[in-house]
Amino acid sequence: MHETPTREIFWNIRHIWLTYALLVPMVVAFALGVWNHVRRWRAGKPIERTDNWQERLRGFFVDAVGQDQLRSGDQQAGLFHILLSWGFVILFIGTTVVFIQADLRIPIMHGWFYLIFQSLILDVFGLGAIVGLAVALYRRYVAKVPRLTHGLWQDGFLLASMLIILITGFLVEGLRIVATSDPWGSWSPVGLATGRALAALGIREYGTQLAVHRFLWWFHMLVSYVFVGYIPFSKMMHLFTSPASIFTRNLQPKGRLEPLDVENTEVLGVKTLRDFDWKDLLDLDACTECGRCQAVCPAYAVGKPLNPKMLILDMRRQLTEEIGGVPWAKRELEPRPIIGTSIEPETLWSCTTCHACVTACPVEIEHVAKIVDLRRFQVMEEAELPETAQAAVQGIEDRGHPFRGAQASRRDWYADLPYVRELAQVGQAEYLFWVGCAVAFNERAQKIARAMAKIMHTAHLDFAVLGDEETCTGDPARRIGNEYLYEMMARQNIETLNNYGVKKIVTTCPHCFNTIKNEYPDFGGNYKVIHHSQLIRDLLAEGRLPLEPGKLQELEKVTYHDPCYLGRYNDEYDAPRAVVDALGVERVEMARSRQKGFCCGAGGGRYWMDDEPGKRINVERAREVATSGAQAVCTACPFCMLMMEDGLRTVATEQGTTERPVATRDLAELVAEALAEAAGAREGEAGAALGA
Amino acid sequence: MHIAVCIKQILDPEISPRAFKIDPVRKAADPGTASLVIGPFDLNALEVAIQLKERHGGQVTALTLGSDKAKEALRRALAMGADQAVLIDETQVSAKEPSVTARVLAAAIRKLDPVDLVLTGRQSGEWDFGQVGALLAEELGMPFVPFVPRLDVAGNGLRLEREADGGVVVVEAPRPCVASVTNANDNVPRLPKVKDIMMANRKPITVYGPGELGLGAAEVGDEANRLEVLDLFIPEVKSECEFIEGEDGAEKGANLARKLVERKVI
Repeated sequence: MHETPTREIFWNIRHIWLTYALLVPMVVAFALGVWNHVRRWRAGKPIERTDNWQERLRGFFVDAVGQDQLRSGDQQAGLFHILLSWGFVILFIGTTVVFIQADLRIPIMHGWFYLIFQSLILDVFGLGAIVGLAVALYRRYVAKVPRLTHGLWQDGFLLASMLIILITGFLVEGLRIVATSDPWGSWSPVGLATGRALAALGIREYGTQLAVHRFLWWFHMLVSYVFVGYIPFSKMMHLFTSPASIFTRNLQPKGRLEPLDVENTEVLGVKTLRDFDWKDLLDLDACTECGRCQAVCPAYAVGKPLNPKMLILDMRRQLTEEIGGVPWAKRELEPRPIIGTSIEPETLWSCTTCHACVTACPVEIEHVAKIVDLRRFQVMEEAELPETAQAAVQGIEDRGHPFRGAQASRRDWYADLPYVRELAQVGQAEYLFWVGCAVAFNERAQKIARAMAKIMHTAHLDFAVLGDEETCTGDPARRIGNEYLYEMMARQNIETLNNYGVKKIVTTCPHCFNTIKNEYPDFGGNYKVIHHSQLIRDLLAEGRLPLEPGKLQELEKVTYHDPCYLGRYNDEYDAPRAVVDALGVERVEMARSRQKGFCCGAGGGRYWMDDEPGKRINVERAREVATSGAQAVCTACPFCMLMMEDGLRTVATEQGTTERPVATRDLAELVAEALAEAAGAREGEAGAALGA
Repeated sequence: MHIAVCIKQILDPEISPRAFKIDPVRKAADPGTASLVIGPFDLNALEVAIQLKERHGGQVTALTLGSDKAKEALRRALAMGADQAVLIDETQVSAKEPSVTARVLAAAIRKLDPVDLVLTGRQSGEWDFGQVGALLAEELGMPFVPFVPRLDVAGNGLRLEREADGGVVVVEAPRPCVASVTNANDNVPRLPKVKDIMMANRKPITVYGPGELGLGAAEVGDEANRLEVLDLFIPEVKSECEFIEGEDGAEKGANLARKLVERKVI
């Protein structure tokens, strides 16, 4: 062949000017639609989310371009989306190439580039997009994936439109190839096959081919134009809002809530949508309705009124009602309170702040921060909160801990342990052992503290406790929404810690761990905070904890339950597992573990709130524990431990016994049990807690 | 309508029983690490007063006899919805018995704008005498209704419910009168809004200093107290645990019933 491979643009098409004329309304509709979205977000308050753009760009490439988060966990969904999105991106580039050739008059559509990219690659990606669409349709209307429950009509319309665009595209290409006997037709295999199939179906006459081609060409173009113009008014807008949300995502530690200037803020927390910042409102528009949050939400799983997907979509609907879904909307409503309008209080109080929704969201929507913002308003401005939560908050205010009716005092658990000393006596120590209220006041949980003290003593660590000088970190108050009380507690604790010059803090409670590590720096408290699983792992690695193999013999298999505030919030999944593995027991994993760990139900102040029978998250988790095949569930959080003990008791009752089917042990308890006798003998020695 | 509510700041009654100690020299509770709170029934009284104000308008004045620390209790009352707060400095007052407390409070109430109603908790949260309300009515020459969970305006007077053994007595009283408030589901003290807490910190507190009420040592000093605490101790509580024998549930049930009857529990 002596000719350069190419094809004639606008072959068989007359009145080309019409495509440009039709372009105008399409572009106008698109621009107006996009502008309307910007208008919606501008109703929010300012927030800095364009700093550190290198990191933001990295996330953009990984999660928007590469769709890492989207593909992880659900491969079928990931496949469909990659095929569809990349198919359309490549086809869009193909159209741009035509534009460059036809309108900018830069001759690039020829030669190898024409054959490889403009013909072969476009065909392959176009076919891929059709396969992707087929998978998407199958998931919605055949397999009926449970998390895809919203907007099925709109989904059907959008998927059908895209299918029509793709199929007519191949029909047009096929007809051109057979009608012109395109010598390079085999470089467009899908088009060629389509053309031959049409010929086989009877469209053989040249004149017929021309007529059908011309009709389909215009049809293809019109549908494409309408579709593009419709994007900003549909869920397809996520093409732009999702990458925008990913780019402007929260780069702060996941466990840190934004502090609130209680003294100088007009509205405490969020009352109306306008009290949110613009990223919060962008989140509402960025939601793709994929339902991954719904699928992982523990509250939703047990039938509580919270569905994180609907939380976002209900607020989106309110935003549309108040600001308008179209730019020419005149009926701008007065801002209404969100609670009572689109979200019920019970929904708000069902959240355990477990962060599973935020972790699962492929487009970086921050559900939990919004829930806390809404709670802040309910608690601080309205004083509307469940009575049980109120009692916990009142307890923190009056007694420095949320446990109403606690029988113990903070110093009880070490009354007979001479090696546990208070900072007030020793002045300073290398490690401050931050005990936490749950551990100090609950008789069952006190064993965690005793075990941990024994471990640190055995390893010759120089440690001390605060005794009565310790108070609640404020975490429950903060997650319930009382930022005012939280700040008081934080400032008081930081003053105590700084007065002693504390540098390193060890704690067995992931809630204390998270708050002191990620939230106290905002108030001037900067410490090296170590979770006990991390400390024990290091001590074991350094050979400072002599274990006696076989001491845990009755526990053949142990399963590990990930605490949300250690795992998802602080990415610590491996340290506790390394410790379990060092104990000479077989570790079995539950289906929902690590990033997908299922909450025990205690977070976000839920520990103190009433649970309707049959809708208890801890029982749901305990059932999973009971079927894991393990003799013990290992926890690394006192709340998880208490919730598992309680849940497993219910499971026992369900099974008609009084004996819990699986034992619950904190990591420290397992390690203390496995310590060699000689090491344990140190327990009696007085004053031996000096640094090694 | 002007309602005066007498409140008392006490050691937190909800500290753990194991942490509760008695100072044998002072013959009083050892504060230890316990925080100071408003007596629980006094909070009910505040709630009743604020609800009445919300229904019929008027103002609520919270009064307390105490040290400078008691200002915290008054701030809480203001945050809940009281309009004024009065602290009576306890420096030259020796209120070891309720009659002295009542005398001091009565003197302070006489200095206020005329009151329509005086409320107290049915008893303080620590000593549990339950006499201040009645003695206050005597001092002020007003009628007294004890154990009132709820009340409302009725004509020129008040309609009050009084809890009695196994029933409720409904009475009418003229204004002004004194009532002591007991707890009920509809007078659970409200949680103050954070905005109100911050506002309360800026409101003034009237302080009646020593001698400002015109009461001398003979009326409120040590010699005014005729009551003396001889001893104060924590009773030892013994508990026994007994497992009910029996082959099955029915037999265990029967045995349990028999034991309960034997011990005259049922």
